[in-house]
Amino acid sequence: MQANEWSLIIFTTVMQMAVGSFVILGGVHFFATRRYDAQAADTLSDRALLAIGPIVILAMLVTFLHLGNPLNAPRAISNLGSSWLSREVTLAAIFTIGGAVFAFMQWRKISTATIRNTIGLVVAAIGLLLVWSMAQVYLLPTVPAWNSPATVVTFFITTLLLGSLAVGSAFVLTYQYLRGRNNLPSSDTQFDILSTTLRWIVLISLVLLGVQFVVIPLYLANLAEQGSEAAMASISLILDQGGALFALRLILLFVGAGIFSIFMYRSLSSESRTRMTGYLAYSAFAFVLISEILGRFLFYESMIRIGM
Amino acid sequence: MANKLGFYFNATACTGCKACQVACKDKSDLPVGVNWRRVAEYTGGEWVTNPDGTVEQNVFAYYTSIACNHCTNPICVEVCPTQAMHQREDGIVMVDESICIGCRYCEWACPYGAPQFNEEVGVMTKCNFCYDYLDEGQSPACVAACPSRALFFGDIDELRAEHGELAEIAPLPPADITEPNLVIEPHHNAKPIGSPSGKLINPEEV
Amino acid sequence: MVAKEFLNDVITSTIMTRRSFVKWSAIFGGGAVVASNLAELPGQQGIGSVLAQEDESVVWSSCVVNCGSRCPLRLHVKDGVVVRVETDNLGDDEFGNHQIRACVRGRSVRQRMYNPDRLKYPMKRVGPRGSGEFEQITWEEAFDLIADKLKELIDTYGNESIYLNYGTGTLGAVVAKSWPPSATPIARLMNCYGGYLNHYGDYSAAQIESGLPYTFGNTWADTWVSNNSIEDIVNSKLMVYFGNNPGETRMSGGGMIYSLQHYKKISGAKMIVIDPRYTDTAVTAADEWVPIRPGTDAALINALAYVMITEDLHDKDFLDNYCVGFDKAHMPEGYEDEDSYSDYILGTGADGTAKTPEWASTITGIPAPKIVQLAREIALTKPCFITQGWGPQRQANGEQTSRAIPMLSILTGNIGIHGGGTGARESTFSISMVGFPTLSNPVSTSISVFNWPDAIDHGPEMTALKDGVIGKDKLDVPIKFIWNYAGNALINQHADVNYTREILGDESKCEMIVSVEVHMTPSAKWSDILLPDTMNFEKMDIAVNGDASNMGYHIFCEPAAEPMFETMHVYDMCAELAKRLDVEDEFTEGRTVEDWLRYCIDETRKSNPDWPDFESFREMGIYKVTNPGDPYVAYKGFREDPEANPLLTPSGKLEIFSSRLHEIGQTWELEEGDVITGLPIYAETWEGVSDPLRETYPLQMISAHYKQRTHSTYGNVPWMKEVAPQEVWINPIDAEARGIENGDRVYVYNGRGRTHVPARVTPRIIPGVIHLSEGAWYEPDEDGVDQAGCANVLTRYRPSPLAKGDPMHTILVEVEKA
Ligand SMILES: Nc1nc2c(c(=O)[nH]1)N[C@H]1C(S)=C(S)[C@@H](COP(=O)(O)OP(=O)(O)OC[C@H]3O[C@@H](n4cnc5c(=O)[nH]c(N)nc54)[C@H](O)[C@@H]3O)O[C@H]1N2
Ligand SMILES: Nc1nc2c(c(=O)[nH]1)N[C@H]1C(S)=C(S)[C@@H](COP(=O)(O)OP(=O)(O)OC[C@H]3O[C@@H](n4cnc5c(=O)[nH]c(N)nc54)[C@H](O)[C@@H]3O)O[C@H]1N2
Ligand code: SF4
Ligand code: SF4
Ligand code: SF4
Ligand code: SF4
Ligand code: SF4
Ligand SMILES: [Mo]
Repeated sequence: MQANEWSLIIFTTVMQMAVGSFVILGGVHFFATRRYDAQAADTLSDRALLAIGPIVILAMLVTFLHLGNPLNAPRAISNLGSSWLSREVTLAAIFTIGGAVFAFMQWRKISTATIRNTIGLVVAAIGLLLVWSMAQVYLLPTVPAWNSPATVVTFFITTLLLGSLAVGSAFVLTYQYLRGRNNLPSSDTQFDILSTTLRWIVLISLVLLGVQFVVIPLYLANLAEQGSEAAMASISLILDQGGALFALRLILLFVGAGIFSIFMYRSLSSESRTRMTGYLAYSAFAFVLISEILGRFLFYESMIRIGM
Repeated sequence: MANKLGFYFNATACTGCKACQVACKDKSDLPVGVNWRRVAEYTGGEWVTNPDGTVEQNVFAYYTSIACNHCTNPICVEVCPTQAMHQREDGIVMVDESICIGCRYCEWACPYGAPQFNEEVGVMTKCNFCYDYLDEGQSPACVAACPSRALFFGDIDELRAEHGELAEIAPLPPADITEPNLVIEPHHNAKPIGSPSGKLINPEEV
Repeated sequence: MVAKEFLNDVITSTIMTRRSFVKWSAIFGGGAVVASNLAELPGQQGIGSVLAQEDESVVWSSCVVNCGSRCPLRLHVKDGVVVRVETDNLGDDEFGNHQIRACVRGRSVRQRMYNPDRLKYPMKRVGPRGSGEFEQITWEEAFDLIADKLKELIDTYGNESIYLNYGTGTLGAVVAKSWPPSATPIARLMNCYGGYLNHYGDYSAAQIESGLPYTFGNTWADTWVSNNSIEDIVNSKLMVYFGNNPGETRMSGGGMIYSLQHYKKISGAKMIVIDPRYTDTAVTAADEWVPIRPGTDAALINALAYVMITEDLHDKDFLDNYCVGFDKAHMPEGYEDEDSYSDYILGTGADGTAKTPEWASTITGIPAPKIVQLAREIALTKPCFITQGWGPQRQANGEQTSRAIPMLSILTGNIGIHGGGTGARESTFSISMVGFPTLSNPVSTSISVFNWPDAIDHGPEMTALKDGVIGKDKLDVPIKFIWNYAGNALINQHADVNYTREILGDESKCEMIVSVEVHMTPSAKWSDILLPDTMNFEKMDIAVNGDASNMGYHIFCEPAAEPMFETMHVYDMCAELAKRLDVEDEFTEGRTVEDWLRYCIDETRKSNPDWPDFESFREMGIYKVTNPGDPYVAYKGFREDPEANPLLTPSGKLEIFSSRLHEIGQTWELEEGDVITGLPIYAETWEGVSDPLRETYPLQMISAHYKQRTHSTYGNVPWMKEVAPQEVWINPIDAEARGIENGDRVYVYNGRGRTHVPARVTPRIIPGVIHLSEGAWYEPDEDGVDQAGCANVLTRYRPSPLAKGDPMHTILVEVEKA
């Protein structure tokens, strides 16, 4: 494992989490606005939104670590015609800037809600395109372990799963913080928003978990079927050398996105148990985050190119 | 339009000596770890011990000397985000080191391991077909170095007309990925690509 | 970066001369320019892709190390620094007048020139011998110390106490020539001052040089039994290579491997390689590989002979008319009662054992049916070229093996004919020039090249019959002074490093060791005085006796750069010493190095007027001459008319049974287990395939010559370590039994030593045998465990029976995962 792959692990995971959070947040905001009013909807989500910014910036900075010659970095957007990496970099930049503009407008309530929502929608779409292009980067015909639909699916699972759980954690945290400071405008409404959001997040997690557990065996089976030396070496890297990490990743994922989520769902029955909800939400997020990082580690680690 | 250049490698003559590799390093002052030309050893075969203690085997080995193939369909150029990796009119694929960001994406993509990252300067480097020598009417350093005359270069169409079209033997990748401008005279031990009978036995050297 | 380290070195060295500072900053500056220019390079420029500049000059030089080849190097020089290396690029490369292309090592020579190990100024040892602790001294001090010691020791012990150790680091030159020792400037110096103790033989081929002449009839003065020229394989139908690996040992484009490839293509002859390893030669040229256990070739030959004789495939006419000793009817006079060769083979002789394929198969590891098939193929495919490298003979039973292999040529009558050969090493066409005259040695006593440690330890106990002392019945004095010029055999290349350390470590035995060296080698570390030599690219010389099959050539080497630091030409060192020994006039005859080169060329032109004169030669750079005649056939005259051209054997014929060897075997005092016999028999040996010691150390080990280095030379070149890392070859079967995987670090050890080295698990070596190439630089840790894979911490210091030569490829070891 080369050190510079760590920056890629962090960049892709965190960037995907940011996109996921943005999208989920947008969804929550959309439904909350429809059910209550814009102000109620903003209370929890604005603060969560502001948390995404630094994360994205961090992710962008980390990528520089991966470059041998960062001074030339701006040039990386000059081959949109054929390079997915170029497209990824470009979309990441647009997403970052767009997200920042949106957050700023949302924070200062600049312009109308409709315009802001439209911008939000566009930024979310760019984010999803970004995830798509991130995946395309790895669909190299020369790397069997990457050149699989599983790469695309897994990147989107990471996006939505980490995004959901991050938003969930951010919501509980904000909720508890505001309530602790008696700063909650209408506590019932907010609890309603919180619990509905979390219920949806739990459902999303369970579905994504299910999908992930179907994709992984399919992916490995498909790789094994190719039978090339590179493919077999990749499998062996995942299952033998990386076997323990791989198992740990699956367990963390199962416990985080599955077991903790279900408990979280049950803890939402009463507001008095939000402390418990909080612990469960944070743990689920932490478990899944670690699992995803491990997963991404193995993803890079399993890189064996065909040829010489 | 300039004719496309390519290499002709005669595996039946190659002793695996690596004079080509070092001549290249010397010409371009390449540090340890950066090899614009690399020599793969593909080896296989089994041993059986008979009841009387005698042994039998079907061991084989052969070498393949590979630089950049200045491919017709250069995946390295396709994936490079900066266009630092580019192809000239005459087909020579080169890195413009002044704009490369050192992302190493071309290195992931090229199935011949041709792009070689230079840690000392933080940019990608690779075989430039000794274009400076070519301009002077000299052979590339590696070609001029080969003591066994296993390595030649020239107009790829002519090379193909003379030596055939083969461009893939184990442990090389399938040629259809990048369409390398390479012609190989196979060694009598040569195995087809993807053959399970041997392996690249010196991965740390290539 | 190497240059950087070296620069620091230069700056901190207090006596840095201005000249060298300028030089080194230029080198480092050059590197810096490359790095910092990068950002500004216009689009298409690659690193280092700068064209040969206007201010760059190109000079002819050569690689003169001991690899058997001799390659031109065209050095590109800029600001006094060699910046690029090319090789012969003359002509259209048509075979016969083809380019002599340097091998991989020559191409890396800049890293040998500009190497941090380079010796910069004279030094004297300050710590205990071998500690590697030195102190810089002036040339004056160095010369005085040496001259005083030489006088003192010669006064006390006589000239026989002064020894010129084997050293082949720069053997391909005229004046700066390190081998044979008798041809060196140091020999000339000592010859002016009463002489020195000689040695005979060499580490390369001692056993075949001493053994094979008994069959073919050469004398001690001319021990070389030749074979047909490699060119002559155009006439062969079959080629059988015993332990001969030109793919690695004659690697250059002027070398044997290229010629072999070229001529084999023409003749289409089948080639069989018999070697414990699937060598690069086998990869490139062989149609069949027959793996064999080391030291057992003679057993294989016996069985091949058995099949030929029993199936009546042998050439009886040839055996009757050209040989003695094949059968009872043709024994030499007076030896009718001894076993004939056919008695020995068929089991009707003293040992009563028939040398059947089954008998040989368990010894050699080759299945009996394969042996039968081989015998038929070799006997029936004519003409057949048989050759041996020196791997089979660099063994405890090497003399026997060296004589056994040519039995195939004899039994099949292939000697003296086109396409056939003798079974010795291939010949080539060469031209030669007069060498630097070194006068004659007043001392005629000579020891074997290999047993100098005995001569240090207990010289006066060494005798002619026991230790092979020549010229006297016994040595009178021990070795007290060693000249080590361009040699690493003091500690690295000689057997059993740990034992040698003991002998050399006793400073009262050998009182002074002077090394004339270019790098801080393991042997240099065991010296008392270090004299830094200029390297060949810093001086004018002529690279001599290059041969490329049917072409001979010589190279005029121009100095490419000023001598670095305080280095000095070995000739000038000797001249300075001659002054102090009051023999200056005799030594120099008023000549400089260049004068001597002119002298040698003039002398050459006296007998060979075609030779270019000094100035023209200098202009040409390389002087090539193609064989004007037919390919050389060894012993052709003898074959055509044995009466008119008898061999220099007692019988004038090929002596399958050598009466002289038989007598030696009866009179010499041999160590238990050693034999010298009239017939070329298979002799079991210590640490051979059937030694009971295999219960403890089950693996046989060979230490063949490797492409990374020429012996230890080039062993400190980073590019070469990358190209061909030091690894121990082990068969997957043996590796698996020991839980070893490719790339694992392992210990290789036996009762004498231990070394730590990565494993190359490869099917290219026969099971039960490992291979650790010779020449890696000995690098002991605090516990004395070598960390570099130096084969000679494992080899055994036990001279072979007849030659008293080095048996490097005969040892037993065990391997374990580290
Ligand atoms: N185990 C094992 N050991 C072996 C062998 C084997 O097969 N197995 N082979 C043996 C054989 S065949 C041989 S010939 C010997 C060779 O043994 P050596 O003759 O000792 O050969 P090298 O190790 O090359 O040492 C040459 C030395 O010359 C120095 N040198 C190079 N150029 C110059 C120069 O211009 N000037 C000066 N002053 N010095 C220079 C180098 O630095 C090096 O130290 O090794 C023997 N040792
Ligand atoms: N690259 C390189 N070239 C060199 C040298 C070098 O150090 N490096 N050294 C030069 C010098 S000084 C010399 S003397 C020559 C040495 O030339 P050689 O003595 O011919 O070389 P080796 O490598 O010792 O042995 C040759 C082959 O013999 C095999 N062999 C070992 N034992 C046996 C045996 O018992 N039976 C059979 N059939 N084969 C056996 C080895 O596996 C090896 O492939 O090479 C010269 N050329
Ligand atoms: S120089 Fe020639 S023989 Fe040697 S490895 Fe390269 S291609 Fe093969
Ligand atoms: S060999 Fe690799 S680096 Fe060279 S052109 Fe083809 S794809 Fe690009
Ligand atoms: S390392 Fe340089 S040449 Fe390679 S893809 Fe990245 S920018 Fe392009
Ligand atoms: S063509 Fe030039 S740059 Fe390319 S491998 Fe050969 S020597 Fe190196
Ligand atoms: S080591 Fe030998 S073959 Fe190689 S360049 Fe030097 S002289 Fe030529
Ligand atoms: Mo040698």
